[in-house]
Amino acid sequence: MRLRPLALLLLCAGLRVAAAQDAPATSEAAPGAWTAAEVLGAPRGVALSGATLDAETKRVGSLLRCPVCQGLSIADSPADTAVNMLRQVREMLAAGYTEQQVVAYFEHSYGAFVRLEPAMNGINWTLWLAPFAAVVVGGLVIVAFLRRSRGAAPAGSHEDASSTALPADPQLAEYVRRVRALAAAKQGERREETRKP
Amino acid sequence: MNRKVFVIGLIVALPLVALLFASLSRDPTRIESPLIGRPAPAFRLAPLDGGAPLTLDSLRGRVIVLNFWATWCVPCVEEHAALAQAAQQFGRETAFLGVVYEDSAPEVRTFLGRSGAAYPMVMDEGGRTAIAYGVYGVPETFFISADGVIVDKHVGPLTPERLSQLIARAKARAGGGRS
Amino acid sequence: MTAALGRYLILLSLLAATAGALVAFASAARRNDTGWRWTRRLAYAYAAAIAAANAMMIWALLRPDFSVGYVATVGSRSVPKWVAVVSLWSSLEGSILFWGFVLGVYLAAATWRSHASQAEYLPWASGVWLSTAAFFSLLLAGPAQPFATVPFPPSDGPGPNALLQNHVLMAVHPPFLYAGYVGITIPFGLAVAALFAGRLGAGLLRTLRIWLLVPWTFLTVAIVLGGWWAYEVLGWGGYWAWDPVENASLLPWLTATAALHSALLVERRAVLKGWTVSLVIASFLLTILGTFMTRSGVFNSVHAFTQSPIGPAILAFLALATVFSLVLLAWRIDALAPEGRLEPGLSRDTLLLLGNLLLIVFAFTVLIGTVFPLIVDAVRHQQMSVGRPYFDRMVVPLGVGLLILKGLGPALPWRRSSKPTLLGALLWPLVGAVLAAGVGLAAGARNAWTLLTLFFAGYAAQVALRELWRPVSQRLSRASAERPRIGRRRVAAHVVHLGAVVVFVGVAVSSTMGVSKEVALSKGESFAIGHYTLTFAGADVVSEAHREAVVARVDVAQDGRRLATMAPRMNYYASQQNPVGTPAVRSNVFEDLYLSLLNVDPSRQTLGLHALVNPMVGWIWAGMIVMALGAGVALLPARRPLPDNGRAGGASDADVPDAR
Repeated sequence: MRLRPLALLLLCAGLRVAAAQDAPATSEAAPGAWTAAEVLGAPRGVALSGATLDAETKRVGSLLRCPVCQGLSIADSPADTAVNMLRQVREMLAAGYTEQQVVAYFEHSYGAFVRLEPAMNGINWTLWLAPFAAVVVGGLVIVAFLRRSRGAAPAGSHEDASSTALPADPQLAEYVRRVRALAAAKQGERREETRKP
Repeated sequence: MNRKVFVIGLIVALPLVALLFASLSRDPTRIESPLIGRPAPAFRLAPLDGGAPLTLDSLRGRVIVLNFWATWCVPCVEEHAALAQAAQQFGRETAFLGVVYEDSAPEVRTFLGRSGAAYPMVMDEGGRTAIAYGVYGVPETFFISADGVIVDKHVGPLTPERLSQLIARAKARAGGGRS
Repeated sequence: MTAALGRYLILLSLLAATAGALVAFASAARRNDTGWRWTRRLAYAYAAAIAAANAMMIWALLRPDFSVGYVATVGSRSVPKWVAVVSLWSSLEGSILFWGFVLGVYLAAATWRSHASQAEYLPWASGVWLSTAAFFSLLLAGPAQPFATVPFPPSDGPGPNALLQNHVLMAVHPPFLYAGYVGITIPFGLAVAALFAGRLGAGLLRTLRIWLLVPWTFLTVAIVLGGWWAYEVLGWGGYWAWDPVENASLLPWLTATAALHSALLVERRAVLKGWTVSLVIASFLLTILGTFMTRSGVFNSVHAFTQSPIGPAILAFLALATVFSLVLLAWRIDALAPEGRLEPGLSRDTLLLLGNLLLIVFAFTVLIGTVFPLIVDAVRHQQMSVGRPYFDRMVVPLGVGLLILKGLGPALPWRRSSKPTLLGALLWPLVGAVLAAGVGLAAGARNAWTLLTLFFAGYAAQVALRELWRPVSQRLSRASAERPRIGRRRVAAHVVHLGAVVVFVGVAVSSTMGVSKEVALSKGESFAIGHYTLTFAGADVVSEAHREAVVARVDVAQDGRRLATMAPRMNYYASQQNPVGTPAVRSNVFEDLYLSLLNVDPSRQTLGLHALVNPMVGWIWAGMIVMALGAGVALLPARRPLPDNGRAGGASDADVPDAR
């Protein structure tokens, strides 16, 4: 059984040399849809054809996981199983089944694993809402942070080094000038240290 | 001591690590089938050597062992003998059916010519039956009770012991609900 | 003999790393100079031992010497020499050995470039680095032993996985990935040192920033190269599948990018020190998580190594490192108190904050999407998948948001400014935005997200280009050789942003404006796709040293003119049951013609072909190169010390004094 993972990997990544096989014409129309009718009931949508059918097949196919591959959708995978499944998707869409019905059909036999887009129910809501919750929480944190830092420092004491204005009071200004001179000298010393990598 | 860090750690980081520990024994390739306990999907398949198509309904009333296999699959070839033996042993009350998955009729005939065919083989054109049964790969074997409910799905090659075990299980479920 | 020697070297490395870590922590706690000198020696000793072990393994792979356990699993006589070398990192034990080598190189480099002024905090960092090194050597000595002696050596081996022999990118992507992943250990150590020392001053910040930028650059390249490899090798025509292992490489990149940007705020405003340190720590923990995801067999992934016993060991290390980091942060983060403040209001500062938010939400989304199947399995015992539809839907708006910030951020000045200034800064790049969106519309783009991306890409590009043009125009307008008024770091930042914008555009356009067709052809038949006409010229069987292949020749013509013959192929390896396909890709500036074989029969001369025209894929790879070049510019040492602020490593127009 340990063979399975590697075999499945190569089954998907590898492409079999095969004589081009045509699906033999069956006497019944769309047997895939026939099996689907047992599971799903009647089609609830509009029968598609032509370019719309192609596009829709591709789109719905990209929602379904190729069961023998690692993560690819049936629209992207060259594996035979995926090709068969995609053909079935096309037939069901042509018969008028909706996207929900098609996905439900595969989920019926393969389980939730085959859905690349998680269903929006029950525990999955945690997944779908998590990013939005994260944005909201993060936004609140930022707002709180900005508000806190505004409250913490009284106005006027937050000069940064590029501001060169001196306070109006001459005595205070003298002190500030002296402190700045001292700081600049200290910075000169540190320059030597920070120059090295 | 910064409380916020603790809280964040408790809510985010440690549960994640705990989850990973809990998942260590997980085999991501082992997918449970949702069909267990549900009615078996109907099929209508052409036998290898021609003739009328075989349907699920025609086999109702007996336990069915439905085996998906292919000649290019090494474990399938390995379990072929066990299945043939079981078919001979249980053949009266149990219907064995081999569904060929993604293979060509000539190759199958060659293989059966060498190894013998103890029970009917059908070709799954277009893979529809495999899809209906949720087949991920081969070999996979379904054990269907007499009233048409899938009792078990065995993934991988079967041994004779496991075969008899699973057939017995399918027989034990006689009509009535299993829930 | 080789195996025994290799094991001895690994034990030596383990000894050196463990001893070094102990000495480092001791000398850090007691500020001991002798201790520090011995730490450095032991660090070099570790690097030397593990490098020698790697050299030994490569030699064993080249010979090939099948008495060495690892060579018996991946070596082969019939593979080309480059494949033999590359097998070093192709499978589990070898990849851990390679990890140790890269870590040794980083350790040696970081130790070599250290100097006296860093003595206060570097021993702490070294202790952390050497502890990590010790862990990986422990793995090598135990569960992931590559040098096991094979008692009855086979005469030949299976060679590395066939998928990994198909393309030369196999030789390039993993080393870059390891250089990125492993390298984050260095800034992690520095972040821990900042917490122990209780301060994040300008010197330490600069060291941290540089040692974060180096692995970040490698990781950027590695992630895009990974996409490129998937594109050229896997044959489905795409480059990113939100596979768990791909996500694992993206997570630390996102937090590291956030850290690089919040470090700017630490530098200019002396705020967010604790946050930046936390981000660096998170990046490291995410690399360990990523390693676990790849090697544990717990996740469903096409890249994952098969299940192995080292999964639990890595998880234990992750748990330990997480607890250690949390305790340290809780205990010491208050020592990294802000010394300035941020003003609310629209400015570059607040946009940097917003950018951090988006990057973290991005990382959080990717993380939760990746582990959600595990959560559901643990809670409900159901298996489910989270695939592309989810990630694309969540990530595209975030990406566009980041793109908007890339434009607005550099356009705005620092600090709150007046309304006219704001409007002036924000309005003129709209020219580029409208231009880009117009070009997109003209080219046929109709997808709303694509047009939005183009719009904001044009905006960001104009901002970046104008900033880059400014020193040039100044030099041109003034005759004197005055120093340009933009520092090297800012040049680098704009170049990197420009590269990122190019990548965004490439991704947006190639995702939404491609065409694809699947056809069945016999020899001589043609079909059309895009502007091209493709004709199946025949299929041949080709024999090579290590594989057989069926090659399909497809002639490509455009407007009647023959352009090229493309050769998608299917390769058959002796060791593999199923063949591995190699697509054929023809790229030009505007689009790629991509051909992938569905099936081919040389005897009947029939072909099943999947053809795609992918527009602007080349821009993604080109953008990556631009980003790497930009980051490289930031890392260049200064040509001469600059008079005003004496900061080596490129002038910064941040004149913040040493915020102690």
